[in-house]
Amino acid sequence: MRIHARSLACLLLVLLAPCAKAAAQTIEDGILMPKKALCTGFIYTHDSWDEYWEGTLKRSNGNIGAITTQSVAWMGAYGITDRLNAIAMVPYLWTGASQGVLQGQSGVQDLSLALKYRLLETPFTGAGSLRVILAATAGTPLSDYTPDFLPLSIGLASSRFSGRSTLYFHADSGFFVNATGAYTWRGNVTLDRPAYFTDGELHMSDEVQMPDVFDYSVSTGYIKGAWQVPISFSQQLTLGGGDIRRQDMPFVSNKMNLSRVDALVKYALPWVRGLQVQVAAAHIVSGRNVGQGTTLSAGFLYTIGF
Amino acid sequence: MKNESTRTLRAPRRLAPAALAAAVALAGVAACSRSIPTLEELTPQTANNDDAGAGSWKMILLSGPTQFTVAPPSAVSSDAYQAELAAIRTAQANLTQAQKDAIDYWSGGAVLRWNQILRELVARYNLPPAPRDDGSYPAPDANNPFADPAFPFANPPYSARAYSYVTAAQFEALKVAWYYKYQYNRPSPSRVDSGIQPLMPTTDLPSYPSEDAVLSGVSTEMMRLLFPAAIEEITRRAGEERDAALQSGKASSSDIAAGLALGRAVAAVFVARAGTDGMAQAAGNAAQAQAYASAATARGEVAWKSLETPPRPPMLMNFGKVLPWMMTPTDIVRERPGPPPSTSSSQMAQEVNEVRDTVDHLSREQLAIALKWNDGAGTYTPPGHWNDIATEYVRDARMSEVRAARVFALLNMAMHDAGVGCWDSKFAYYNPRPSQMDPRIRTSIGLPNFPSYSSGHSTFSGAATVVLSYLFPAGASSFEAMRDEAGISRLYGGIHYRADILNGKDHGARIGGYTVAFARQDGAD
Repeated sequence: MRIHARSLACLLLVLLAPCAKAAAQTIEDGILMPKKALCTGFIYTHDSWDEYWEGTLKRSNGNIGAITTQSVAWMGAYGITDRLNAIAMVPYLWTGASQGVLQGQSGVQDLSLALKYRLLETPFTGAGSLRVILAATAGTPLSDYTPDFLPLSIGLASSRFSGRSTLYFHADSGFFVNATGAYTWRGNVTLDRPAYFTDGELHMSDEVQMPDVFDYSVSTGYIKGAWQVPISFSQQLTLGGGDIRRQDMPFVSNKMNLSRVDALVKYALPWVRGLQVQVAAAHIVSGRNVGQGTTLSAGFLYTIGF
Repeated sequence: MKNESTRTLRAPRRLAPAALAAAVALAGVAACSRSIPTLEELTPQTANNDDAGAGSWKMILLSGPTQFTVAPPSAVSSDAYQAELAAIRTAQANLTQAQKDAIDYWSGGAVLRWNQILRELVARYNLPPAPRDDGSYPAPDANNPFADPAFPFANPPYSARAYSYVTAAQFEALKVAWYYKYQYNRPSPSRVDSGIQPLMPTTDLPSYPSEDAVLSGVSTEMMRLLFPAAIEEITRRAGEERDAALQSGKASSSDIAAGLALGRAVAAVFVARAGTDGMAQAAGNAAQAQAYASAATARGEVAWKSLETPPRPPMLMNFGKVLPWMMTPTDIVRERPGPPPSTSSSQMAQEVNEVRDTVDHLSREQLAIALKWNDGAGTYTPPGHWNDIATEYVRDARMSEVRAARVFALLNMAMHDAGVGCWDSKFAYYNPRPSQMDPRIRTSIGLPNFPSYSSGHSTFSGAATVVLSYLFPAGASSFEAMRDEAGISRLYGGIHYRADILNGKDHGARIGGYTVAFARQDGAD
């Protein structure tokens, strides 16, 4: 019953793309900004679902109807060197339910800061080149929102740290394949209440231990000239946590798993140097303790060289 | 990977702020990603006072300790008893780590441990049935407790009654046990035999019949009735408690056998009462719900309706007719608060506006208070929250088991009566919730599916505060502050009017007064 929040933040990162001529730039991809180039912009995202997985049972719920999460995210990527980039992102989210009496929530969610490093690049003459990229990401809440009102909370309020590695092959023809995986350590979350029940046990504490998360994604597509058209398949696996019990509310440390497909189109406007626009769509094809979200986003990114 | 990230962080100096932020987040994750203890930490309990006179404390349901026969134990010098001591010595020489852990666990106090277990069971079973595809709701079935929906739905009234039955039966059983302990005066094994180490705190309390075995027997039988699907786990914990009593040198096998039999026998009296206390009729039916609604409409009032989709029958509509502990059914009706503001009155309009204004401008602090006291589905409920609060006071007061049991019995009997009285009021008036009067009111906690007037949280908390303030006078101002915060949390959550909260608090205090009147003359103080 929860996609938005964390998985939306994750999704935003996946969807963030263009920057620099033909170069995309996200934490997950194999592309880097050149030295002293800054790519920055805003992306609007709309995510909605009316069915969710209560544990493994797929259902709808008349007391919430459809849950919609919208966000506007600022992102920036900067080339410290040609091999090392820094990326930052901050989204503002607002949620709502189409039925029932529960109040939507809104606020600035989490700051994500990443360093992305090109470990090596091997050219294959006449074919393309293969890159190995490493990235480290830290995230932490920027506001005191509650993670204890899922599915309407705007996030999980957990500080986290990820280590990621990415393999990227770009053919001279413009086609590419990208494979990336990350392990995320998550810090404990503090609730406003003195006790909670999850995963079969009563805990007499306001502190919740958050299970770690593994995610991976494979993508392919075309990057040439003004166009970028990647599609991808990704999975998020939460390495622990309990299921939502029958007719219970979701809980912050639930085992939230999902498989998702994404498609993205980016285009560098020929009449404004450095400006790219993008539209993207994503859909969750299977999950556990998450909503079956369909996500649409649109945004622009502007590249400036210093 | 590790080398790479080190190199990455070392690279350019301009990176310092981002690197610092990353390092801080990493340190934060590492520092706070630790496991959470599941239950309150309970240090080994050593009673300040054995309460040798507890066998003469006034009974509640029983006629007196001699209602049960506990045969005299064999002499300490007998071969049979000496063989029991030898068995303890052998057990102590061969303790496994699991057995040592169990001794540590039960050293925290058996009454306190059973209260924790009870709260966990309530939280586990406090889930409403999911609707069927046709929009109807199945009822939990005590004869089929493992089905969907599971039995029980341990909602606030169900759990108030459950807490009271378990703790009242424990209290009565321990009073009987104390009577026989001081009649027979058999010391604990570690006092008789220097070859037996006292692995739990011991006092001069006689050990026949064993208080741990009494509690294991009475708790198992009461919980079997109230949470039948959990019987396997309950039985396991009860057996572990008896083993810990024996292996710690606190009780011999005949102390334990006598205690277990006594605990079970006392439970049977309470189980019989539970069968005829009106709970079987509490769920009600559609015709009765319609009659409550029609009566409200006939008085010219807007009748409560379910705002769930699909509409759900109101929770335990006849719980107001369940037998109270310290009151008569006539008392329940006599103490019923006066009517709420008419749904057509200007005062009601003001109250609705206050709720809407509150939820539309809710501060983060107010939201935290709403969430702190929510105690909704999937939790140990408001009565459980007050057991949680009482636990620390009982632990810190270093009470005997029988006196600790008295605290929880008095507290929970008062909250059961508060639940009965509150449900009587809710269905007598059948008053709509704020979101029914004004659909623009959006709640930051789940909307309870039963009438509004008066507030259950406030009534439970009013009764609990009166009882706990009598038992722990030094905590009175703290209890009152918690009661008021629990009450106002329902306004912040958008689910109650101020009149519900104020009248509920007073109603709860009056109901709690009946229990305090009993406590003043039960011989314990």
